[in-house]
Amino acid sequence: MGTPAVEVEEISRVFEPRKKPEVVALDGVSLTIPPGEIHGLLGPNGAGKTTLVKILSTVLLPTSGRARVLGMDVVDETKAVRPQIGIVFGGERGLYWRLTGRQNLEYWGALYKLSARETKERTQRLIERVGLAERADERVETYSRGMKQRLHLARGLVGDATVLFLDEPTTGMDPLAAREFRTLIAELRDEGRTILLATHDMMEAETVCDRVTLIDRGKVVATESPRTLGRVISRFQRIDVEGVDGPVLDEIRALDGVSSVTVADGGARIEVDEEGATLVVLARVVEAGASSVKTSLPSLEEVYVQLIGDRGLEL
Amino acid sequence: MRDFLAGFGLELRIIRAAPDAFIPLVTAPFFALIFLSIVRQSGRPDLQADALMAPVLMTLWWIALQHAGNLITGDRWQALLEPLIATPASLASVLLGRITALMGFGLISFFEVWAIGELVYGVSIPFEHPGALALTFLVTAFATAGTSVAFAAVFVMSRNAYTFTNSLGYPLYLLGGVLVPVAILPGWIQPVSSGIFMSWAADLLRASLKAPPIDDLWQRLGTVALLGAVSFVLGRLILFHVMQRMRAKGELAAT
Repeated sequence: MGTPAVEVEEISRVFEPRKKPEVVALDGVSLTIPPGEIHGLLGPNGAGKTTLVKILSTVLLPTSGRARVLGMDVVDETKAVRPQIGIVFGGERGLYWRLTGRQNLEYWGALYKLSARETKERTQRLIERVGLAERADERVETYSRGMKQRLHLARGLVGDATVLFLDEPTTGMDPLAAREFRTLIAELRDEGRTILLATHDMMEAETVCDRVTLIDRGKVVATESPRTLGRVISRFQRIDVEGVDGPVLDEIRALDGVSSVTVADGGARIEVDEEGATLVVLARVVEAGASSVKTSLPSLEEVYVQLIGDRGLEL
Repeated sequence: MRDFLAGFGLELRIIRAAPDAFIPLVTAPFFALIFLSIVRQSGRPDLQADALMAPVLMTLWWIALQHAGNLITGDRWQALLEPLIATPASLASVLLGRITALMGFGLISFFEVWAIGELVYGVSIPFEHPGALALTFLVTAFATAGTSVAFAAVFVMSRNAYTFTNSLGYPLYLLGGVLVPVAILPGWIQPVSSGIFMSWAADLLRASLKAPPIDDLWQRLGTVALLGAVSFVLGRLILFHVMQRMRAKGELAAT
């Protein structure tokens, strides 16, 4: 394998707020992203996603550990790293509201050392690409939240970055715009760019990411493809059946490895929590003459809840 | 140079889009009228030209403190500082470009006070040494821009930058010899004033409006430029260390 696009080795980051106890935002995080991959960074609020994105974008120093982008150290070689990266932070801020979308992009383009002509051409291309052509010459303060997000994305692309860091980029977008955005992300990968996408949107991660790192309380919980992550907890497989009588379901409920049997709408969902239990259950329901049997792996959301825990609003 | 021009262009667009940028240009004619009225009331028509120059210098200082000095702080609060730092551009150069645009804008006040003097009191600016006058304004604007980089770097460290900027104006007008020549200030203050480029610039401006030849023009212009350059270099240094500190403490984004 050649030089990874992103390489993080045992990165830790401790914040020391005034008159408050210190906060460990990242605790020995390691991560490798090969070139051309869309990598999801998935975790609840306060998990450390944004902190990692900021360290990789050279705007925050780690407390310990090392991180490299395209083989260049983000602390010691910032001048070499910065022309290669683009960042998109979520939220409404981060744009000059009194200027138009086009003027914003032209300014950021100039900061990437583009000539005036290149800046104008690239700005126009990006405006069209993110669907802002009709409103490009209106002030940003008149944009909807979703439009500002699209402008953020265009700004991240104006430097023609090889590696893109996107932090909650679809926040505030309507479902249609978010879907178009995901298509755009896939196009960017096809152009050879590497993308680190920090999100807490399970569906987004599952749809666009080649691999996902689950992060919680500053630690990496798992790094796998969304599908493989499902298999990691495949022992939690579920079996949806129809046409099986109550007594048989009671019998199944008593089997080893069956965690629950829920009856609903003429069918039942059987959940197992031990390896091998699925086969035993399948054999029994087929023997009992089930009219329909369907097994499924958990969704990424279920993996997430299983590995990180359902903490609700707790940080 | 591209970073400088990017900053220059950005600020011009912001000025065009933001009416509040014009406030210093609204106040300058009023100051001109106040000062002209005072010197006329005092029976000192020989000071009328000086009275017209003071508002121009005050406008430059005002812009340096209130606008230029708060550029980084403003970007930080609008979450613009982090993306800016993450680009290949030099923050100091972008900042200098933005401040230079502001200074150029501030120089419009010269034409305002010229017009107001003529229209209200029929007082003309005596262009005895027009070349020296233009050069002095130019060098003063650049020196003020250089000093503003230092202001911006220092102010971003404070949570109450606006308190500083509001209270720093008048002491600097006084020490900088903007309102009255440094020579008539108490003797113990004068050495402090000589370290402020504006005091040299103000004296030179007044001298360029009077008939006698200007003594040591180039030397005095050089002093203004040198003091401005020293402030810029110092400001750049402070800026670098402040940004490093903010990166280390995670304070580039204000929350």
